Amino acid sequence: MKFFKENREVQKFLGHPLAVPGLVVLGILYFIMIFAEFIAPYGFDNGSRENSYQPPSRIHFFHDGKFSLQPFVYPWSFTFNEYYERTYIEDKSRPCKLSLFVKGDEVKLWGIIPIKRHLFGIEDRSSRFYLLGADSVGRDLFSRLVYGSRISLTIGFIGVAVTAFLGFFIGGISGYYGGKADWILMRFTECFMLVPSFFLMLALRSAFPMRLSSIQVYILIVAILSLIGWAGFARVIRGMALSISKRDFVTAARALGASGFRIITFHILPQTLSYAIVSMTLSIPAYILGESALSLIGLGIQEPSASWGNMLSAAMNVSDIQYHPWILIPGIFIFLAVMAFNFVGDGLRDALDPNKN
Amino acid sequence: MVKKHLSILLLSLAATIFFFGCGSSDNKNSLMASGLDYEALMKQAEAFVPQIGKHGGELILSTFSDPKSFNPITSTENTTTEFTSYIYEGLVKANGVTLKPEPNLAESWDISSDGLVWTFHIRPGVLWSDSTRFSAYDVEFTFNDLVYNKKINPNSSRDVFTVEGEIFDVKALDSQTVQFTLPFPYAPFLRSMYQEILPKHKYEKFVQNGTFSTRLGIQTPPSEMVGTGPFLLQTYISSQKVIFKRNPLYWEKDSAGNSLPYLDRVIYTIVSDQNAELLKFKRGEVDYLQAKGEDFPGLKKDESSGNYTVYRLGPSRSSTFLFFNQNLEKNPKKGDFYVDSTKLSWYRNINFRKAIAHALDKENMIRIVMNGLGYPQWSAMSPSEGEFYTSEVTKYPYDLAKAKKLLEQEGFKDSDGDGYLEDKGGRMVEFSFVTNSGNIVRQKIAEIIRKDLESLGIKVHFQLLEFNSLVQKLDNPPYDWDAVLMGLTGVVDPHFGQNVWLSSGGLHMWYPRQKEPSTPWEAKIDSLFSAGVKELDNEKRKEIYYEWQRIISEQLPLIYTVTPEMIFCISNRFGNINPSLKGGLLHNLEYIYVK
Amino acid sequence: MRDELIRRALVSVPQLLLMSFITFMFIDLAPGDILAKYRFDPRISSETVKMIESKYHFDKPIVVQYGHWLWRALHFDLGYSFSREAPVVSVIAERLFNTFLLSILTIIFTWAVAVPLGIYAAVKQYSWGDRILSFFSYFGMSLPGFFLALILMYLIYAGRSIPMLSAIPIGGMISPNYEDLSFWGKIVDRVAHLILPVIVLTIGALAGLQRISRGNMLEELRKQYITTARAKGLPEHKVIYGHALRNAINPLITLFGFEFSSLLSGAALLEIIVNWPGLGSLMLAAVRSQDTFLVMGSMLMGGMMLIAGNLIADILLVIADPRVRSR
Repeated sequence: MKFFKENREVQKFLGHPLAVPGLVVLGILYFIMIFAEFIAPYGFDNGSRENSYQPPSRIHFFHDGKFSLQPFVYPWSFTFNEYYERTYIEDKSRPCKLSLFVKGDEVKLWGIIPIKRHLFGIEDRSSRFYLLGADSVGRDLFSRLVYGSRISLTIGFIGVAVTAFLGFFIGGISGYYGGKADWILMRFTECFMLVPSFFLMLALRSAFPMRLSSIQVYILIVAILSLIGWAGFARVIRGMALSISKRDFVTAARALGASGFRIITFHILPQTLSYAIVSMTLSIPAYILGESALSLIGLGIQEPSASWGNMLSAAMNVSDIQYHPWILIPGIFIFLAVMAFNFVGDGLRDALDPNKN
Repeated sequence: MVKKHLSILLLSLAATIFFFGCGSSDNKNSLMASGLDYEALMKQAEAFVPQIGKHGGELILSTFSDPKSFNPITSTENTTTEFTSYIYEGLVKANGVTLKPEPNLAESWDISSDGLVWTFHIRPGVLWSDSTRFSAYDVEFTFNDLVYNKKINPNSSRDVFTVEGEIFDVKALDSQTVQFTLPFPYAPFLRSMYQEILPKHKYEKFVQNGTFSTRLGIQTPPSEMVGTGPFLLQTYISSQKVIFKRNPLYWEKDSAGNSLPYLDRVIYTIVSDQNAELLKFKRGEVDYLQAKGEDFPGLKKDESSGNYTVYRLGPSRSSTFLFFNQNLEKNPKKGDFYVDSTKLSWYRNINFRKAIAHALDKENMIRIVMNGLGYPQWSAMSPSEGEFYTSEVTKYPYDLAKAKKLLEQEGFKDSDGDGYLEDKGGRMVEFSFVTNSGNIVRQKIAEIIRKDLESLGIKVHFQLLEFNSLVQKLDNPPYDWDAVLMGLTGVVDPHFGQNVWLSSGGLHMWYPRQKEPSTPWEAKIDSLFSAGVKELDNEKRKEIYYEWQRIISEQLPLIYTVTPEMIFCISNRFGNINPSLKGGLLHNLEYIYVK
Repeated sequence: MRDELIRRALVSVPQLLLMSFITFMFIDLAPGDILAKYRFDPRISSETVKMIESKYHFDKPIVVQYGHWLWRALHFDLGYSFSREAPVVSVIAERLFNTFLLSILTIIFTWAVAVPLGIYAAVKQYSWGDRILSFFSYFGMSLPGFFLALILMYLIYAGRSIPMLSAIPIGGMISPNYEDLSFWGKIVDRVAHLILPVIVLTIGALAGLQRISRGNMLEELRKQYITTARAKGLPEHKVIYGHALRNAINPLITLFGFEFSSLLSGAALLEIIVNWPGLGSLMLAAVRSQDTFLVMGSMLMGGMMLIAGNLIADILLVIADPRVRSR
């Protein structure tokens, strides 16, 4: 606790207007992501076609005029009216109790630990509780959001790791050795910057074969997105490495016989760390948004896997906005995550920036 | 005016009454399935007599793609032919309501007793848009110098007019008479005469200096496009719009002798996104819209405030079907089949395909994907294509239990309890299932199919592919695909779709370009098509194609799913709108006017 | 300085070459068939398809194909676009101006709004104004542009009874009756159609720039010479605008070049949704239909626009900052 109170960096971070709320939001999102199997009442592929486009379940406390402490929902069904609008009818004869820690489908937490209980749900299996409504084939939107977070929230980290690796590697070498190596590497880097990123993304995606499993598609998307971003990062690292290389302690290390590799890895790059952390945090949003852009053109994560990007792209039409707006909620989650990363990144920058006194 | 309102009232009444009456009934006339009285609609359409309208005004339509060219001979895109059909016409045209061929540039024709010599009498007084007289020499020129010209490529017309390697002999007997001599009786001949006729005096020089293929492209000045049609090109602004203006010299006149068309202009707004198109229509920026089922409620409810009318015109001509790789071609280098032989044994097994057919939840596809506005499809043709369609084909109701039983019969069962089926040899039933990206409706249908296949115990890898990539895989060795969901637009005369059905055809998707038919039923279809093209007795001809549809439904090389309802909307400002199940709303565009 | 610029321009040539070569490889290696639609058309015979193939050397090895492309490109012939059935040069030329117009306007608006906001936020750091501004500027950055566009389009439609909103067109570049408008009517029409795409793009680009200008201003304001100026009694607004701002702007100018590139990329999906016929949507369509020559041509164009943007940025930098000159 004392550490938190006295550390200068932490103070600066906390001083930033929105860093703390951002961190809280991220915390919640990642918590949900980690415990996805427990928090989601249903699987990501559990459709129920009679419940197509069902609106969020209405929670009741009164049944037949009697108050019930435990909330419940009624099963819904729909018919088409003369305008082919869906009219939903609640079956008021069958209240289904909504409870916490309810027994549901058996799933394996993280693929290893089998659990039967979920955070909330309906004990009575014959009907369903749709917290945020259902999609076209009756899949629970909330469950899909929860499982989708696993893809959308991790793509950023892995992508940024790849970018960082490339950036450090090429930027470090370029900045330290200088001269011809620097010139060639920088021109090579600039090549990547010459091509507009979206286009590069497409060209790369279409170059790959079709029979890819979801995991392979995921890795591919991450790889592509990071290939776009590394150039800018590498350039900055190179600039920093260039000036750091001129400092005394580096000359000293060299005089002592340390190899180039050692110097770069243990002396130069750590000096770039604060910039790197900030930069990486701030570029994670680009991965999340990039994934949704790829999904929009059909080159992203495939069904039935859920990602916020592919859920949003399936919802991009006027009829959905008018008649089942809950379908657009993944867009809001993307928005929240991206905003949160931006605030946290800013806070980190305020905290770690060596230029601020 | 009153008549129109009355008819709309009647239709809505019929709709409300029949809604509660009809469910998913399986009438002989499947048009009744979704509760509208289409019989009445057709009768009304056939009885329609256009009113005398007035000149002036414009109609604003929308389209998704730019025209790629204005050359009806070399173009392959449907959008291009839509545009060129304003400017260029054929000797014969299709009646918008009945789809039967009727006189257009040709006033009448005589057929020799053996059906081989057709003599067309040109309508007198027809002028090209540059005031030159239209004559039989233009027809002769179009066929001999354009259609049959080997130097002009690509040339879709040439491929249509070459039957079994032979071409027709086309000769102008005089300026008003042109004669076609066919090598053998060709039943679809009259329909093929919808072929656009181009002016000799204008384009002859391009043929002579060999530049015709590059002419009439999108950069062509409108004055170069000389036609006999109701409209002429006024301007084309890339990715924005295409404007057609009235052809003052058009030959057709209304019953009072006024020259047609009534409209001054027809403007196409080019849109890239369906949402934008819908919103533009609702705001009145566009006058006409072809809508999807899910947009119907929003459109229907705003009919009066938006001052437009929404029409439901029955099943569309587009089909969506699932098919498996049955390709027996062998890799010359290795000597074995391109396609995995175990998988081939599954896909070529008729009961396997029948089981899959029973696993298609068509009702939910219609309910969910098309918002209830669609029809199950059982036959290779659609009722909106006219007389060659038959509904008397084998049908496969959605029945997962029956599907499972059929599979069990063929030795597919879950022997190791992993939830997936294995075949007789113990191999897990697992395959890739692909559809093309960019088509949301198809993707949603694919999603439903995928889920049902999974519940049957089949492990499915779903993938979206760009259309071009998909076609390349379908068409070329090593034929690296398993199951595909695709679609086609139907044709009125089955013969024009023969490339799909002939075993030697390039579009015989499940096993293209066979050297010899690989199954007795494919051989039977080959013989049906070669008999059908020559059968001049229309009733006999219908029987031939009915049998083809029956075989397809029995053998299931293509397993059909559902087809959407045609939903058209048009602003109430226009008169003489005659909704037709087979022609839509704009089939009588020359008679449409602004009230 | 001039030498540096010339050297930069020259270096970009081999860079473009390398990029074009890599792109060509990728397109060619990609599974898919540029002539697919011809093959898939029941009316076209396979001989016809073969003829087209040999005309464009599709049947030869990749390197040979690239060589042919390069040779033609040097003669300003970028080949033939199969998906649009027109020469690549004419297809691109039409779009180039549109993208340019959209980019320039977006950059102007973004700067006009972001820089003042950044200054305000820096001067009043950690105030409520700063917090609110932060929040709203991040708002724009956090929504996918295409999503925002769809929502705005829907809102414009939903608010159609409000006269201001009903005048804003949804998509497209000109109205159907454009020809009939007067000269001024045409200008107004074009401007009206620009409203939606520029707003969406500006909202997206705003945050980044605002944040950076805020950061730069903060940095400048801490420096010695500012304290000195204040100590000397210089009025505050002269301190901010006359001194700090001028120096804070520099790093922003270098961003100028990147803005072009990111506008090209980020705008592609947006262009499709609002039907703005620009280079971005052209590239997207070209890659999806594997229209090799069109892809190569647009990629070349995109690259050249970026280089031009960077060079302009460098020139502006030289003009704005005398320190850079003396090197």
